[in-house]
Amino acid sequence: MRLKDISTPVPKKDHKDKVSGQLPYISDVKVDNMVYGVLYRSPIAYGKIKSIYVPTLPEGYDVVGAEDIPGPNYVKIIKQDQPIFANEWVNYIGEPILMLVGKDLNTLYGLRDKVKVEFEEHQPIYTLDEAIDQISSASFVSYEFGKGLDIISAIEQDAHQIVEEEYTTGYQEHVYLEPQGMLAVYKDDEIVVHGSMQALYYIKNALLSALACGDDEVRVVQSPTGGGFGGKEEFPSMMACHVAIAANAVKKSVMLVFDRHEDMVVTTKRHPAKFKYRTALDKEGNILSMCVDVFLDGGANEGLSSVVLQRSLLNSAGVYNIPHFHAKGHVLKTNTVPNGAFRGFGAPQSFAGIESHMGHLSKYAQLDPLEYKRKYLVKQGDPTITKGNFRDPILMEEMIEDLLDASDYNKKKEEFQRFNQQNLRYKKGIGTSVFLHGCGFTGSGERDHIKATVKLVKSKDGKVLLKISNSDMGQGIYTTLSKIVAKELDLPLEQVSYPDPDTKEVPDSGPTVASRTTMIVGKLLERAAKKLKAEWKSGEEQEVFEHYVHREMIPWDEKTFTGDAYPAYSWGVNFVEVEVDTLTGIVKLEKVYGNYEVGKAIDDRIMKGQIDGGLAQGLAYGYLEKMTTKQGKIQQKSISDYGPPTSLDVVPIESKLFDNPYADGPSGAKGAGELTLIGGAPAVQSAIEDALQTSFQQIPVTAEVIMESLERKLVNRVD
Amino acid sequence: MPEKITAYRFDYLDETLSQLNKEDCAIVAGGTDVMVLHKSGRGVPPKIPKPVVFIDHLSELKRVYQKDKDLHIGSCSTYGELLENPLIPIALKNAIKTIAAPAIRNRGTLGGNICNASPAGDTLPLLYVYNAKLLLRSVNGDRVVAISDFIQAPRRIGRNHNEILAEIILPSVLEEGSHVVFEKIGNRNADAIAKVSFAGYIRISNERIDDIRFAFGAVGPTMVRSIDIEKKLLGKPFPLSETDIDSIVADFDQIIRPIDDQRSTAVYRKTVALNLLRYFLNTSQYQPN
Ligand SMILES: Cc1cc2nc3c(=O)[nH]c(=O)nc-3n(C[C@H](O)[C@H](O)[C@H](O)COP(=O)(O)OP(=O)(O)OC[C@H]3O[C@@H](n4cnc5c(N)ncnc54)[C@H](O)[C@@H]3O)c2cc1C
Repeated sequence: MRLKDISTPVPKKDHKDKVSGQLPYISDVKVDNMVYGVLYRSPIAYGKIKSIYVPTLPEGYDVVGAEDIPGPNYVKIIKQDQPIFANEWVNYIGEPILMLVGKDLNTLYGLRDKVKVEFEEHQPIYTLDEAIDQISSASFVSYEFGKGLDIISAIEQDAHQIVEEEYTTGYQEHVYLEPQGMLAVYKDDEIVVHGSMQALYYIKNALLSALACGDDEVRVVQSPTGGGFGGKEEFPSMMACHVAIAANAVKKSVMLVFDRHEDMVVTTKRHPAKFKYRTALDKEGNILSMCVDVFLDGGANEGLSSVVLQRSLLNSAGVYNIPHFHAKGHVLKTNTVPNGAFRGFGAPQSFAGIESHMGHLSKYAQLDPLEYKRKYLVKQGDPTITKGNFRDPILMEEMIEDLLDASDYNKKKEEFQRFNQQNLRYKKGIGTSVFLHGCGFTGSGERDHIKATVKLVKSKDGKVLLKISNSDMGQGIYTTLSKIVAKELDLPLEQVSYPDPDTKEVPDSGPTVASRTTMIVGKLLERAAKKLKAEWKSGEEQEVFEHYVHREMIPWDEKTFTGDAYPAYSWGVNFVEVEVDTLTGIVKLEKVYGNYEVGKAIDDRIMKGQIDGGLAQGLAYGYLEKMTTKQGKIQQKSISDYGPPTSLDVVPIESKLFDNPYADGPSGAKGAGELTLIGGAPAVQSAIEDALQTSFQQIPVTAEVIMESLERKLVNRVD
Repeated sequence: MPEKITAYRFDYLDETLSQLNKEDCAIVAGGTDVMVLHKSGRGVPPKIPKPVVFIDHLSELKRVYQKDKDLHIGSCSTYGELLENPLIPIALKNAIKTIAAPAIRNRGTLGGNICNASPAGDTLPLLYVYNAKLLLRSVNGDRVVAISDFIQAPRRIGRNHNEILAEIILPSVLEEGSHVVFEKIGNRNADAIAKVSFAGYIRISNERIDDIRFAFGAVGPTMVRSIDIEKKLLGKPFPLSETDIDSIVADFDQIIRPIDDQRSTAVYRKTVALNLLRYFLNTSQYQPN
């Protein structure tokens, strides 16, 4: 197949194997001399280990713990605060203490039940609110930036009024279809770790540190990955350390796979967050200044939380040009499961908060929320809140106008008003959200930390292989990145292939995160392909490399939080219509619209997959999916208790793409994976608010939250 | 090595019953509760502590037929089969459609839902308001019990070890003139466990209440139903007065005692249960179904 317009959909490269059920995921794999591992986990939230008792093990069974780690006992991520096997302190329920390995899982479960660990228990911090109360000792990291507080103080003095609001967002669980799994294959001269993952070189670097070994003694191979959503960014590094250390200790191959229950209670989640807004308004309800305080619940160790906080802060003003904006943020430690990467990476929390706050402020100006928001939309050439610049064209106005038309917004509002007056049980509402997503790593991450390299290999018979470390986890990059290369080389798509990445074969093109793969890695591949085309010699084997080049922009300074935080932005608008049952609080989605600008879609159908999936996940974050902890323990341990949406909860999503090609993206493409999630929650919240003529200060707006608010209204009316 | 288990799959109900008479077995119909109940950790088969006897294939247990105005439903009828059957009342079909998703509905049976005796069993509120009777069969013959006597507590039923639930009888259900509703409140629209459910039954003649029944699910250890409260409404003019409605709601307020759990709160469950009851009592127009 030759590609004309790159956006024209093609069958996915892995389509047949997946739909036929033939693709072996890691839990399907068996190798010679393989044993299983099961982890003994801390039953308490915070304490010091006093003693560990392990029962006598049968022949062929072993225990692996901290003393078996050749290198230092931490998972190499950013800080050195996450033990591979906790041996002094435990900081959350579920923290791994040791691993039992052997042939039979049933025997292993029985043995694990007999392990006894004595603790000296200490007082844990269970909730974000408790942590905020002890902020000086519980803070992992904090940043502050924006207009000087003295200036803002002066503005507030003269303001007509100050509006203060607190807003909270809950956990979100990734619920990738395939739970986490890792296999370390033991060989005399190397350990090869296979598994479900998004970031091969994060794992490789963690293994080099934990095993204290040479570069050629450890290898990481991605196995087919059934979904990631960020949950397989940093978490798998810990599991990889567990299996590799065990393989090294017992000289056998070791498999560690979680079932859904274990996966739900011990793996990372989206950071619960709290926002405090303080906004000065004039008489007409115009914004004079705004201060935002962000608090993220980091869980028991820091992990990637500092970077999540950065993105959260960078998005704290939404898509708005707010005069006199100031923001401050903290990540706080609690004795709960560590929180980590999740599609959107801190931005969904911020957008839910700012969209909610702006919606509520619109009342002071007596404007429709969307009309109010439009007054503050950023335009091309405007500064960012970090003194960067929105230098590319912005199509938000066109996208909004288009949806006002498509949804018949004004007419619908009137219709709903009439319906709501007549219907005592059901109330209809329409809500909107406007949002963006910064593509690629925050700040100078791409240039200073990732330094991506890609490689193309051409065989004698003219086939081209992509040699990069990025994971297809279902999002479709086997197909899209191959398309980019095929198009540039003017080759049929079948002649370009992208084998499962293996660190022995591929350079570090960076992790598959941050909506960076298509835009950054795709661009490098496009340039590599261009180079290969120029040097093309028939009948010869050839290799080309390409290295990351930073876009000319205002340099990012992490200390002062100034400069261009991202090379480019993708944009979106969502409209959502709901019907709320006032007897039960049940929310029914009626219509969902999305307009997106991602530069140029590399494949319209794959993009549609991102839109439908991302929006379903984002909407659910706003009203459906609910996860809680009690005394440090995750309460929802099954998919049905947690409640991600089914096909009966989502309606067909009416979406449209607006082309706006970006010069530094392949064929003009920017990032798209995270963007699509971000608008869901705020749009559904505002639709529910519109239906019930009330306001909420939290997501998810569950049926319980709705009923509580309706009951409160009722009591107030009676008083 | 997985342990060996004994499993029986007889061609006829007779043989099944005589085996049950000899040996206490775990009965498996669709298995959709049994397999979950006995689930082991990953990679280890479920551990069922008794010999297993499969009954889902027995045609004697899959018949659905009318006898006078009563409807007889074979206990091993799957949800999928019941949805296709024209004799099954619409309200029951509506309840079935809220259960799980098609795959489970192709396995799960009505008898299994009853014998599993979960407070959140979705057919139970309706079966209570239908005054369902259960036909239990053993080598000693048949006996018939009311569903409200059969279900005693979560996962506890009044079944002797040698008995099989053979039929569910819905008395007079095929008579005209009653109106029945079912509402299930879950956290999502499929594959959800009820947080609250409500079934209401009303029959009106000459603008007076001839018969009225209510049952609530997932707000107590078993279905909440009160014949005493229902009796208060018999013979009352319909539509009901505000005072009558308030007093019935207040009565149920006293006896509905839900709990907080990982799926919802006691406050929510109670509020919604009473809301649904009030809505049912308030509705002034009923289409018989
Ligand atoms: C994913 C999933 C979703 C579900 N969703 C719902 C839902 O939405 N609503 C709901 O109510 N339930 C739900 N269930 C539970 C289950 O599917 C139902 O309770 C179903 O009706 C059980 O029927 P079964 O034939 O599979 O029972 P089985 O598992 O075979 O049996 C259940 C119990 O009843 C006994 N038993 C079964 N038949 C007889 C008989 N004829 N005589 C004597 N004893 C008998 C068994 O010994 C066992 O104790 C769900 C289950 C799963 C796995």
